Amino acid sequence: MIKKIIFYSGFMILVAALSMAQVWKAPDQEKAKERAKERVKFIKDYKDEDNILRKIALIEKGISLDDVKNNYFLLDSPIIKEREDHYGPVRFAHKRHAALINDCTECHHYRPKDESMLETTRCSACHQDSFNADHPERIGLKAAFHQQCTECHQEEQNGPVTCTGCHLKNVPDHKDLVKLADNSDAFQVTAECLRCHDQAGEDMLKTAHWNWRGPSPYTVKHRKDVQHGKGTTALNNY
Amino acid sequence: MQLTRRNFFKFMGATGASVAVLPSSAQAWQSKAPPDPYGCLVDLTRCNGCRKCEDACSTVNELPPPIKDVCDCTVFEKKRRPDENAFTVVNRYFSGKLDELDKPLPVFVKIQCMHCQDPACVSACIVGALTKKENGAVHYDVSKCIGCRYCMVACPFEIPAYEYHDPITPRVRKCTFCFDRISKDGGLPGCATICPVEAITFGKRNTLLELAKKRIKDNPGKYVDHVYGEKEVGGTSWLYVSSLPFSKLNFPQLPEKPSPKLSETIQHSLFSYLWSPILLFGLLGGIMYKSKKKNDNPQDKGGA
Repeated sequence: MIKKIIFYSGFMILVAALSMAQVWKAPDQEKAKERAKERVKFIKDYKDEDNILRKIALIEKGISLDDVKNNYFLLDSPIIKEREDHYGPVRFAHKRHAALINDCTECHHYRPKDESMLETTRCSACHQDSFNADHPERIGLKAAFHQQCTECHQEEQNGPVTCTGCHLKNVPDHKDLVKLADNSDAFQVTAECLRCHDQAGEDMLKTAHWNWRGPSPYTVKHRKDVQHGKGTTALNNY
Repeated sequence: MQLTRRNFFKFMGATGASVAVLPSSAQAWQSKAPPDPYGCLVDLTRCNGCRKCEDACSTVNELPPPIKDVCDCTVFEKKRRPDENAFTVVNRYFSGKLDELDKPLPVFVKIQCMHCQDPACVSACIVGALTKKENGAVHYDVSKCIGCRYCMVACPFEIPAYEYHDPITPRVRKCTFCFDRISKDGGLPGCATICPVEAITFGKRNTLLELAKKRIKDNPGKYVDHVYGEKEVGGTSWLYVSSLPFSKLNFPQLPEKPSPKLSETIQHSLFSYLWSPILLFGLLGGIMYKSKKKNDNPQDKGGA
């Protein structure tokens, strides 16, 4: 009996350890990643209709906010990445934009000529690689994203318009770049950072983190004129 | 000088012969422009002045990195020109219009070598270091260059720069149209690849011309009705469309005739079969001969 208990408890601990070893991943994030990797068939012909007519057509079809399936997209298409990779992908809050604008035609500006296809296709179905010789007027996916986003953000004076407003910088993996011994002390670690980021070290010396000073009313004799701080008397007291 | 009958016929014969040679040698000037070159269409209404093209250019061509400032705005205070360290630069102009926040609306202009269809620099180059390639690039071969810098004088856009700081191996420097890259199948110039808003469209020049005209036709209020580079100096591989007149954006006002047409016509008609030097020195010789005879006579008389 005792043997059995020991065996089962051991087994359960093992199972728990195994499941702990697996990193938890956000399911919607994984779904967005998978979706971003997809390549869809290029739509050659689109229906060139008036914007207002298209709006009416969408209203008549009864397309509403409930039809927005995905909360957000990761704009990380291999179409863009195979040319260059300077910035991290943008997380585009699709449903939020849809709710805010409440007009699908603002972004889904044309529909495929083939009536059997979805009214609101994804961007990368029409906009793929840049400078397609057969469709010179069709801009590439990257330009389509940038033109659509920044133009609207500028017009509405709402939303980011700079590079890092939407993108994270593509920081290289520091695993191989940082070279430190196992038992490095604080000074060695700082020196290792400064090896490449020396300007960041210089900048730090000009910030309030290094130069702060101010009154310290709760210290000796409540003298308000005492100027404590890293810029004066204190040492490493954050 | 006495004009004898014999001398008169001699002179007229020589002149007649040279005039007879003239029409055959002075054939109409023919353009050597490639029929279907690549080009780039720069849409100034799209450019937002991010200067990523400068970054890409310096990476691709192994140039020093472009000037960086903290907010990327003071760099536009001064008008810059392409030089030996930067094959392309972006300048800022103001349209005179205001946006919703009453801020002046800028127009950004990227400048680089226009890669003319009949380049004046190629015509001026005396050693053939500069050549117009079939794919549209005006290509510079450093091994042939002797550093005369005629190309810099000839260029109507004042593009070629010279490495004056290097006394041993100076080079003429200008945009290469990423010749090595576009020679490969599917290759693109660095600036066109990186442009986030596709302000630069790469493609065949003929296609781009159609595209530019279509954009103007579809948005007549947005663009001025002028494709810069369509006809300027006989056409350039790089084309521009803009919302402002090009004269306000510091684009040179140029004639439609290719620059080499006049210079090459003069040169070729003057020097074909060396008729003009032969005539000139013939005439000079004749005058010398005559005046010598004339001078000889009084001496003879005086001696007698």
